[in-house]
Amino acid sequence: MANVLWLQGGACSGNTMSFLNAEEPTVVELVTDFGVNILWHPSIGLEIGHQVEDLMNDILAGKVQMDILVYEGSIIEGPNGTGTMNYFCDRPMKDWVSELSKVAGFVVAIGDCATWGGIPAVPPNPSESTGMQFLKKQKGGFLGSGYKSKGGLPVINIPGCPAHPDWVTQILVAISTGRIGDVLLDDYHRPKTFFTDFVQTGCPNAISFAQKVDGGFGKRGGCLFYEVGCRGPMTRASCNRILWNRQASKTRANHPCLGCTEPGFPHHDLMPGSVFKTMKYLGILPKDVPAGTNKLAYYTRAGFEKVMGAFENATGVNKEHFETSK
Amino acid sequence: MAITKELNISPVGRVEGDLDVKVYMEDGVVTRAHTQAAMFRGFEQIMAGKDPQSGLIVTPRICGICGGSHLYCASSALDTAWKTKLPPNALLLRAIGQATETIQSIPRWFYAIFATDMANKKFANKPLYEEVVRRWAAYVGTSFQRGVTASGRPVEVYAIFGGQWPHSSYMVPGGVMCAPTLKDVTRAHAIMNHFRNDWLEPIWLGCSIERYMQIKSWDDLMAWLNENESHRNSDLGLLLRAGIEFGLDKFGQGVGKFMAYGTYLHKDLYQSPTVEGRQDAVISPGGFWDGEQFFNMDHRQITEHVKHAWYKDTAVAHPWDEPLPTPLPSQNLAQTNFNDKYTWSKAPRYMSHAAEVGPLARVIMNGNPANHAHQIQDPLFLDIMKQMGPSVFTRALARVHEAPRLYVMINDWLSQIKLDDEFYIKPQETDGRGCGATEAARGALAHWIEIEGGVIKNYQVVAPTTWNVGPNDDSGNPGPIEAALEGTEIEDPHDPVEVGMVARSFDSCLVCTVHAHDAKSGVELAKFKL
Repeated sequence: MANVLWLQGGACSGNTMSFLNAEEPTVVELVTDFGVNILWHPSIGLEIGHQVEDLMNDILAGKVQMDILVYEGSIIEGPNGTGTMNYFCDRPMKDWVSELSKVAGFVVAIGDCATWGGIPAVPPNPSESTGMQFLKKQKGGFLGSGYKSKGGLPVINIPGCPAHPDWVTQILVAISTGRIGDVLLDDYHRPKTFFTDFVQTGCPNAISFAQKVDGGFGKRGGCLFYEVGCRGPMTRASCNRILWNRQASKTRANHPCLGCTEPGFPHHDLMPGSVFKTMKYLGILPKDVPAGTNKLAYYTRAGFEKVMGAFENATGVNKEHFETSK
Repeated sequence: MAITKELNISPVGRVEGDLDVKVYMEDGVVTRAHTQAAMFRGFEQIMAGKDPQSGLIVTPRICGICGGSHLYCASSALDTAWKTKLPPNALLLRAIGQATETIQSIPRWFYAIFATDMANKKFANKPLYEEVVRRWAAYVGTSFQRGVTASGRPVEVYAIFGGQWPHSSYMVPGGVMCAPTLKDVTRAHAIMNHFRNDWLEPIWLGCSIERYMQIKSWDDLMAWLNENESHRNSDLGLLLRAGIEFGLDKFGQGVGKFMAYGTYLHKDLYQSPTVEGRQDAVISPGGFWDGEQFFNMDHRQITEHVKHAWYKDTAVAHPWDEPLPTPLPSQNLAQTNFNDKYTWSKAPRYMSHAAEVGPLARVIMNGNPANHAHQIQDPLFLDIMKQMGPSVFTRALARVHEAPRLYVMINDWLSQIKLDDEFYIKPQETDGRGCGATEAARGALAHWIEIEGGVIKNYQVVAPTTWNVGPNDDSGNPGPIEAALEGTEIEDPHDPVEVGMVARSFDSCLVCTVHAHDAKSGVELAKFKL
């Protein structure tokens, strides 16, 4: 049994929409079978007729126990640190979060805006947005690097734009069934159970990546890393293991991974030439190389594969192997 | 002695923060209403100076509910700016994405947002109340779970072609990223078939899609309703019977003027995208209807007003000519002066008129006798408007009316995909101006872009919620929700359910808090969340 309060700040509701697509368990099962009691949620709150302001005051006064505070959206601090660009129940939302975080059993930040600021925090950051405990890669964020909830953990970060519904529901289930001790967090406070493998794990184009066969938009087969900016080899997330909407993933639909579970998304802050294009040195060498590789070693290995691939193409070995069927 | 009663009626899905509505009541009637959008993120400012394709990543994140619609606009804005060529397959796959997002939203909106209002105790004395509660009460209603579960299916089709829903960027200038295979298309057909068999026909219609689509007038609809028990006992049948019994057709009229951009660009008619050529290429027609006659949609008739929005004053202007907004200090509701600036939403106007956008606007355009052969021709709602006029009921009916047709169109488009043909034609990147538009589930959405020196110089987004929840314009004329609230009779001033239902019938994408005040004393009577 766990009481959950879910708030949205500088949000698009995308994580809530993603949450509603949850399958194992569904949102209804989460409530009816897993003891997750949603005190209030902006879209699916059960407490009809209960004014949310009273509820929050009761939580702060200790009359209602809040085991989990789920926060979606950036913390808006603008203008000039006042937070008045995001009023909620007559006060800046950041003031509610500041007080509620002191009494929360656990704090779960959902989506890139809540974890590291996300798109609202892209320069010039007009709303002075930040994440709960990080601003991009920088630890600190709104609550400060030393923050720990009553349960003894820092903010549990479930990034993604949006977060996959399973990442959300399963962490809620882990807390409500007493398994929080099994949740190991990495340096960015992400649960390792979801964010250890790379998006490339399970990508159908992994062989094309290994053999340096280029893909592209509107094409079948080939790897999207070389030309259209796929970040699958350097992004930790289980997208290609658990799939989205039970059907696909970005890379399975020939959509480059945007790296949205890593702090800093959108990467390179949308600078010219960075959107759906692989940023390169000298027009050939990718600026961002797969995680866990040395740049020089990667270029050497990749260059070797490229040359061998060209040789195989010339001799007619490789071509047939990489033909994909409609 | 001031009586202050605070009540949380129930929340709606939101996007850009909270919406507060302040109404003044006198003798049981709303005399004045103001809407206040309470959150600012500055997406347009973020895009200035960035990669021209930034909108493909950034704008779907404006709204997690209508992200596919933003993507449809963002890609189209670049198509028109870069003068791309679009293969028919790409136009089909974009339309499928837009349509699956919209059809998903119909059961999700109806059960999770709208129908729970009809289970409010206000209607407890009505004969059909018990049945409404049995089916539509949140979480426990018999139709609630089936409808909400079914709503996840159409976006599985979106995910097959786009990778995921929400927040894909699979529509790009020149086409789409994907190159689907036979198994993708067959699986998409099968998923849609599930949606029909699990919910659309047995639960919602109580008849076949073909039978429902024969209905052409209000009399036809009533004849259909009384034709057999299956029709009467379907959820649509219950909405018709209970909607009238509960009097939902009696309030929430609004401005009486409607605007739609139309959408679903025809695969053969928009291979060379231009802003001018768009209106003749859409399958779901656009236009402006002033209550009597139709006008062709012309985006140059659109202007935005900021006199009552928390932005630095600028001249009334078309979005291409507007500067990026400069935010000003805001106030919470209690400290707001409604004669001055009072919301983060601008006030868009068409030919200087406030216009309602949304499903009702779309189905009215379907009745335009001038629609082309490739466009939807359906006179039903023009007839309903003449017989009953706009109301909470008419708006709800318009929203759900779209589901059967969308189902047919999605299957049709899937069957037209040619697996041997192109899905993407690489464009030349240039400077220039573009405009992309569509119909999001909740109404007209458009993006205007200007690219200069290889970066975005100006990006303007006018969302359906901006049209509907926008404030007074420079001349003091109210926005559509503000207007719809005026004149609404309130049975219990301490629990003004009617106010909530009016705001909710527009399906604004904001959590909406209504504050009711006595018109003479200004005393706050009630405050509740919708």
